[in-house]
Amino acid sequence: MARVTFNSVSKVYKDGPKAVDDLNLEIGDGEFMVLVGPSGCGKSTALRMIAGLEEVSEGTLTIGDRVVNDVPPGDRDIAMVFQNYALYPHMTVRQNIGFALEVAKLPKREIAERVESAAALLGLTDYLERLPKALSGGQRQRVAMGRAIVRSPQVFLMDEPLSNLDAKLRVQMRSEIIQLQARLGTTMVYVTHDQVEAMTMGHRVAVMRRGVLQQVAPPQELYTHPANLFVAAFIGSPAMNLITVGVTVDGDAVHLDLAGQRLGVPTAALERYPGLRALHGGQAILGVRPEHFAMHGDVDVPEDRVISLTTLLAESMGAEVHIHGIIDTPPPTIDVVDVVGDDVEQLARQGTKVIARVDGVHSVGMGDEVRLAIRMHLVHFFDTITGAPLR
Amino acid sequence: MSVQRKGPWATTVRVLTYALLVGVAAIVIFPFIVALSTSMKRPDDIFTYPPSLVPKQPVTVPASSLGLEGEPLPVFGFPDRDGQYALVKTDVPLAEFRVLADDRPVTLAPDAGTKTDDVVQVDVDGTLEEKPVYLIEVDGEEVEAYRVRLTVGGLFQSVDDPDDTVLSLVNTPTPAREFGPRLENYSEVVTEKQLGRSLTNTLLVTMGVVGGQILTSILGGYAFARIQFRGRATLFLMYLGTVMIPFVVLIIPLFQLMLQLDWRDNLVALIVPFVFSAYGTFLMRQFFIGIPKEIEEAALIDGASRSRILWKVMVPLARPAIATLATFGFLYAWNSFFWPLVIINSGNPESRVLSLALSTLGGRSSTDTNLVFAGAIIAMAPPILVFLFAQRYFVENSASSGMK
Repeated sequence: MARVTFNSVSKVYKDGPKAVDDLNLEIGDGEFMVLVGPSGCGKSTALRMIAGLEEVSEGTLTIGDRVVNDVPPGDRDIAMVFQNYALYPHMTVRQNIGFALEVAKLPKREIAERVESAAALLGLTDYLERLPKALSGGQRQRVAMGRAIVRSPQVFLMDEPLSNLDAKLRVQMRSEIIQLQARLGTTMVYVTHDQVEAMTMGHRVAVMRRGVLQQVAPPQELYTHPANLFVAAFIGSPAMNLITVGVTVDGDAVHLDLAGQRLGVPTAALERYPGLRALHGGQAILGVRPEHFAMHGDVDVPEDRVISLTTLLAESMGAEVHIHGIIDTPPPTIDVVDVVGDDVEQLARQGTKVIARVDGVHSVGMGDEVRLAIRMHLVHFFDTITGAPLR
Repeated sequence: MSVQRKGPWATTVRVLTYALLVGVAAIVIFPFIVALSTSMKRPDDIFTYPPSLVPKQPVTVPASSLGLEGEPLPVFGFPDRDGQYALVKTDVPLAEFRVLADDRPVTLAPDAGTKTDDVVQVDVDGTLEEKPVYLIEVDGEEVEAYRVRLTVGGLFQSVDDPDDTVLSLVNTPTPAREFGPRLENYSEVVTEKQLGRSLTNTLLVTMGVVGGQILTSILGGYAFARIQFRGRATLFLMYLGTVMIPFVVLIIPLFQLMLQLDWRDNLVALIVPFVFSAYGTFLMRQFFIGIPKEIEEAALIDGASRSRILWKVMVPLARPAIATLATFGFLYAWNSFFWPLVIINSGNPESRVLSLALSTLGGRSSTDTNLVFAGAIIAMAPPILVFLFAQRYFVENSASSGMK
């Protein structure tokens, strides 16, 4: 068990962009750290640098007290689980799990003992003599895990280990990995693009974008206090609604102009985002999470916290209804396309797409005009140009 | 199996298709069957008419079964009699008659028949001759006949009935034949025609070539697939380009090289130039490239060295490719004829390989057709066996089994 420290680490590919740009990150001893971000954000490269599969271009990388920039993968005392499991297809489960120990020239009896205890831990005892091709996806995943834990390494590295599993198995394996890490207490670095995994698994989550670390924080803090527009838009599903609003400061009161509809900003929000006051006559990006909408009447709010929206699509989830609508204002021009997806460009001409999550008791049909209350004390505000929060 | 089209037309098409396929298969396999059959025939059996695909041997019966002593007796069949007759006695004097009524030839004991005073005009080689008429008994009837000549023939005795005997010219009945492969052809060609030595040589050369090709192809293919070094792509292209050079062009320079190394007339000259295979290197490289990099990375993290990764992880995964390479290398080395013909002295049976031995066998002692074919079968059998053994690797799935 050991700390992993990135100290101004960069990775530059020949003739390519910086895959990882000046990364400073300290992963504590026994911590479960999740690296998350859209594809190409450098999270896998960071992980592979810890593994020693990629050279560090600049900076120093430390595992425990040792600088490992020039230490080959086999000597780093780490174990890695790959997205496609990378099991040795010609070896049985037993040989797969025991391979590292065999390479380390451990006595045969000890290898057998450790392989069997790892297999018992993962429920693989009955499958030890099988070849990987005779296993199901979940079992292969477990063998890959067994191959990692049998070595009792200082750090576990996991590169999107659940993305090849079906949804149900993914949920199950997710909790198994959490429990396993808690039981073993080994430092774990877990890479994923799935923000549900990021939110549920890690002690802390590091959000990356284009090689740059955006924010490191416990999951809940990421959700409630996003460091910038990118993190705000990336974390949460459905994603946070980002709407360009006009700002009017009228003494102590601040009003927003949301496509012609007037919204009052409560003091609680102004305390969290004091920067809003300086924007009189200008614009800001309003960030509203879908669950911060409610059907008018469900919550007791003043009349100036209510907007009306024409339903484009209503998805009934049982417990809740997702109401999709368009607000007739241009979407934020700041570049968050790599989070929200390309369809934003399509909709740009028509307006800003919003999704509201309201109680499932309501029945909403396509084309219905709904009155939605906004829990304005919970919303976020960002600068229209830099995307920084207006704190 | 998917659902097939049904109905009379579809059935007709299917039947015709199979008939065509069976026909083509029969045409393709026929020469091989002829070779196999001839390799097991006796020399006198090869050119019999009508030709037969089944090797046959003359039928004999032990003399004791006829109450006689001595050697086994050959068995014959008469065109006008049922049953088989053993030739129990040769050089038996007999008389050959011809029945006047229907010109039928009859052979009897020399003293058989009663001479009458009548004579008959007979055409013997264009001149009319007068011959006395005899009364002879044929099938219980007395008929008029004349005696053609007194000669010697054989006494035949029925295999089943000792009282049923026939006096006949020896060439009148046809010898009875039965299925009887002559497997001694194989041992004879190996021992008497020194094919054994050639077989050993060919085995040695083939093993050397195949083993060498596999080794160099694995090492080269792995390097080209996974190790980064300057000029790798160019080097690979150049190496692969050597496939385009026909072997004929290389013969003279190669021959000179062998002379300088003093390898002429030496088996080494048949092995060393062929242990490097651009085709094999290409094959292995393509296969190694297809193996997911993560497997290697996992092994790297598990602490394995390059060579360990190669031999313990990559090579076992590349078994289908290695089997393919081995098969092609085997066929090439086993069947190669021209280069051995050039570099091995024709007068030196010690260094001769099978293909050379076979060609001299066919050329020099072409009377032993059965031995030539036996040698050909010996030369053909190993490649066929190797192919049958290796073909399951051709169809075996590639190394993707552990992955999604």
